[in-house]
Amino acid sequence: MHRDGSLGVAVARPRAAGRRPALGRDTGTALLFLSPLFVLVVGLILYPCFRAVWLSLTDKLVGYPERFVGLRNYEYLVHDDAFHQVIRNSLVFTVGSVALKVVTGLAMALVLDAVVKGRTFFRGLFLLPWITSTVIIALTWRWMFDAFPGRGFFNSVLLDLGLMDRPIAFMATPAGAMAAVVVANWWRGFPFFGVSLLAGMHSIPRELYEAASVDGAVAWRRFWHITLPGLKHVLIVTTLLSFILTINDFNIIYVMTRGGPGSATQVFATYSYQVAFGQLRWGRGVTISIFLAPLLVVGIALITRALLRERT
Amino acid sequence: MRARTVLAAVGLIGFLLVILVPFWWIASMSFKTYEQLQFATSIYVPRQFTWENYVGLWTETRFPLWLRNSLTTALVVTLVTTVIASLGGYAVARLRFPGRESVASLILILYLIPPALLFIPLYRVLAELGATNSLSALFLSYPTFTVPFCTWLLIGFFKALPEELEEAALIDGATRIRAFVRVLLPLAAPGLVASAVFAFTLSWNEFLYALVFIQDERSLTVPVGLNLLIYGDVFHWGQLMAASVITTIPVVALYAFIHRWMVEGLAAGAVKG
Amino acid sequence: MLQQRVSRRKILAGALGATATLALPGAAAPAAPAVKKGTSLRLWILKTYVEPTNKAVEASAQRWAQKHGATVTVEYFTFEDMQTKYVAAIENRSTPDVGQLETGAPARFAGMGQLLDLTSFARQIEGEVGKPPANVAPVTVIGDKVYAIPWYIMAPFWYVWRDVFEKNKVKLPTTFEEARQAAQALNRPKDNFYGLGQSWNRTADGYGVMQSLMYSYGVGWAGKDGKHRSIKTPAMQQVMRWATDIYKEGLQPADTLTWTGSGNNENFIARNIAQTSNGPSITFALENALAKATDAKDRKLKEEALANHLALPHPAGPDGRRMWAIAMSFGIFKSSKDPEAAMSLVAHLLSPEETLNVMKDSSGQFAPVLDKARAASKDYFSKNESYRNFGRAAEWFVGTGWPGPVTAAAAEVQASNVLTDAPAKVIVDKWSVDQAIDWEEKKIKEIYDTLRAG
Repeated sequence: MHRDGSLGVAVARPRAAGRRPALGRDTGTALLFLSPLFVLVVGLILYPCFRAVWLSLTDKLVGYPERFVGLRNYEYLVHDDAFHQVIRNSLVFTVGSVALKVVTGLAMALVLDAVVKGRTFFRGLFLLPWITSTVIIALTWRWMFDAFPGRGFFNSVLLDLGLMDRPIAFMATPAGAMAAVVVANWWRGFPFFGVSLLAGMHSIPRELYEAASVDGAVAWRRFWHITLPGLKHVLIVTTLLSFILTINDFNIIYVMTRGGPGSATQVFATYSYQVAFGQLRWGRGVTISIFLAPLLVVGIALITRALLRERT
Repeated sequence: MRARTVLAAVGLIGFLLVILVPFWWIASMSFKTYEQLQFATSIYVPRQFTWENYVGLWTETRFPLWLRNSLTTALVVTLVTTVIASLGGYAVARLRFPGRESVASLILILYLIPPALLFIPLYRVLAELGATNSLSALFLSYPTFTVPFCTWLLIGFFKALPEELEEAALIDGATRIRAFVRVLLPLAAPGLVASAVFAFTLSWNEFLYALVFIQDERSLTVPVGLNLLIYGDVFHWGQLMAASVITTIPVVALYAFIHRWMVEGLAAGAVKG
Repeated sequence: MLQQRVSRRKILAGALGATATLALPGAAAPAAPAVKKGTSLRLWILKTYVEPTNKAVEASAQRWAQKHGATVTVEYFTFEDMQTKYVAAIENRSTPDVGQLETGAPARFAGMGQLLDLTSFARQIEGEVGKPPANVAPVTVIGDKVYAIPWYIMAPFWYVWRDVFEKNKVKLPTTFEEARQAAQALNRPKDNFYGLGQSWNRTADGYGVMQSLMYSYGVGWAGKDGKHRSIKTPAMQQVMRWATDIYKEGLQPADTLTWTGSGNNENFIARNIAQTSNGPSITFALENALAKATDAKDRKLKEEALANHLALPHPAGPDGRRMWAIAMSFGIFKSSKDPEAAMSLVAHLLSPEETLNVMKDSSGQFAPVLDKARAASKDYFSKNESYRNFGRAAEWFVGTGWPGPVTAAAAEVQASNVLTDAPAKVIVDKWSVDQAIDWEEKKIKEIYDTLRAG
């Protein structure tokens, strides 16, 4: 029995006598219930998506009517070294922060699992970064890394401890700036992993652990052979989700570095924004985001497959 | 066991530090004077503890207005989202119709369509509807990400609830709608609360759409307003910090009350799918 | 395409009315087009660093509103969101009636067909407000037509701590090269004090100074005819070397490249750097700090700071002293439902009297452009040496795309950040100067090739 009372496993439910489900019997009601969702989705998500694709095939410049130019935007971006850097940066940013989030999330889940008294309290407390506005988080970490000792936490501490005599400009180098935004994204995101993994841990049947203890398995072996496999599903889903959301992130990088120094932290979303609103090139701006579509499709397919597999 | 407790304690303290230090840093800075921030005096604890940043923020900037805009938007969007998501979630979780599984997958896919892709064409659509430069742009665009997420969440939640009560009601002659409203919703209260809080948070948090769709300073939301508090040459750091503190408090308070349900909601989504 | 909501007849009527008044002998008062009571106008103003100025402009607009029984809704944009706001408004068809336009904007928006032709209006009010000097006119005159009327210049100056210079017996710099040498002489990294603070960031502090540097060395990416011109010249090599040597030689704080718009202000005021380019907002900050002084000791410190800082004219290069600045002008959008009222508002704001009202609250950052107001402002700018320099802003001004006129393509070059990204590639990505110049040339050419004119 799991914490929420369900069994987590598909069980044949006894049907009330006399009710034979015919396929599609609820279609009418379903249409009714789903209509608001349908209207929203078609009107404000799918339709703009189609227009995005159309825009990417034009040379739409703000203030001028658009002209069809075929794949010119795509060709341009393929040869644009700024865009290549955007791709590199996005991958580094995403892989880096997701990897850190996974590891920290696991650690957090383990720690919380070991805490008995006040677990709910701590679990709630640890979620603070996740519920805080990302703009504030970005500003906060910008200040934490600031080179001005009055604002920069790390510089203040290091200077006061006498470990340095001059402040370090953490965010002044490409590597430093990238590290800073990764840290901000990690700090914001690991609690989500922690909580999900904790829940995942609790849905692993206790009997498995008991059996392992009886067999004399040490904590580490229990973790490796029971916990991790048991968490596989949650890990996959959460990691994929985080990957997709992180690679599309705008807020943190825009507020912390605006994509700088130079283009060291420019990612898809910020580059798209800059091209569309700074250079007024909407056709090209949209195309930048569309490049992510194949990646999205793959990621989404993987997630849905993982979820479906678990259900059967 | 001993080692485990020690490790747990160390881990706990470690996480507490990592999570709380940045909050404390901002709060501490929000109580320092402009000179203290400018000239880096009394770094860790504001020696000259002052409320001037909060006062300045409230009286000299449009922050109260932005706060109100953010709140209005979040409430409207939460209401709209909860209605649409619970209806849709119920349909997928309980009703039988062809293509049910596809709808479920579609909902997840929709959540993953990035705002970074949609913001430009959505902008044009909203402009054509005449909704730009006002909060209505947000009322219309925010559900595009809150509804899929909350629907997905509620599907998981609804599925985890036993069907017997509803089936009993149906046998007694109730329509699906009645069964939904009278039987399921009360049962699903924790899930609904979790979903509402998520919608609220996502809406409160949002930046890109608010930045792009609204230009009038009086209609801005807090995140964009904060960005604007930077008057080019003169940073009012203290005020920015104060604004950060004020913006975070209500959300934290909200979570303090309902975090149990919210976490279960998260877990239900992640674990059950 | 934008629908022209203003019928040609209306414009003609306005112009006719104007010419009619001009025909009247001794017509000193501008023929203020009739403003219907209850007219409502939207006015977009730049929110500058000096808050009192912003309030003064708004007050001036309200005075016009009261005089005519009309309403003016003032909306602000900042340096940051200047582009986005206007872009949004153009796409939304929600442009204001009257908008303040920065240096490159009239060219850009006129090219899109957004702005009303103000040629006759400009002539009409010339009697009262005067003309802009020849070097400022290109900002607002596009293809022989006037699309905006310039109001003021917010110029950068070369801020120095003169006591530091005096103590170290270093001459105050008049050229970029002298500035670099002074920076070398004053540089004391061990004491956290640096000779210079020039960031190549994506703000006016970055791309503005880069343009001043280029133009002063005689380098321009467009010719006098406005067409693209190569920058692969020896002079550009010197420019790029100056821009990158100040980093390579460690003359600046480590995080200079990542400064935001206020980074150099803060570092200068905190006395971390000896020199920096900035608008008069530094003076404003110091004056403000003095006004808020808490006790005698604090007051003395602030007075010293104010006395010790000095705003020099922007440095010259081998080819002259050319200073890129933010030139703010007023344009009227074609979408305005009441262009006559809009013109009346603009005429009011541009009048010498109102201009001086605003200027008085600007701590020197508002240098009037039109000659009548300029003449009347001489007193204000004689306050001290810094102010005297502030007042001369219009003398050294050149617009984006020098030596050519300000065109949409030139404005896009500035907006594309290529000017500041190029030195950043040398400093951060360790490219060679030649590579950076080649890259910059390629990017600029591409903008000229693909941007449609009008």
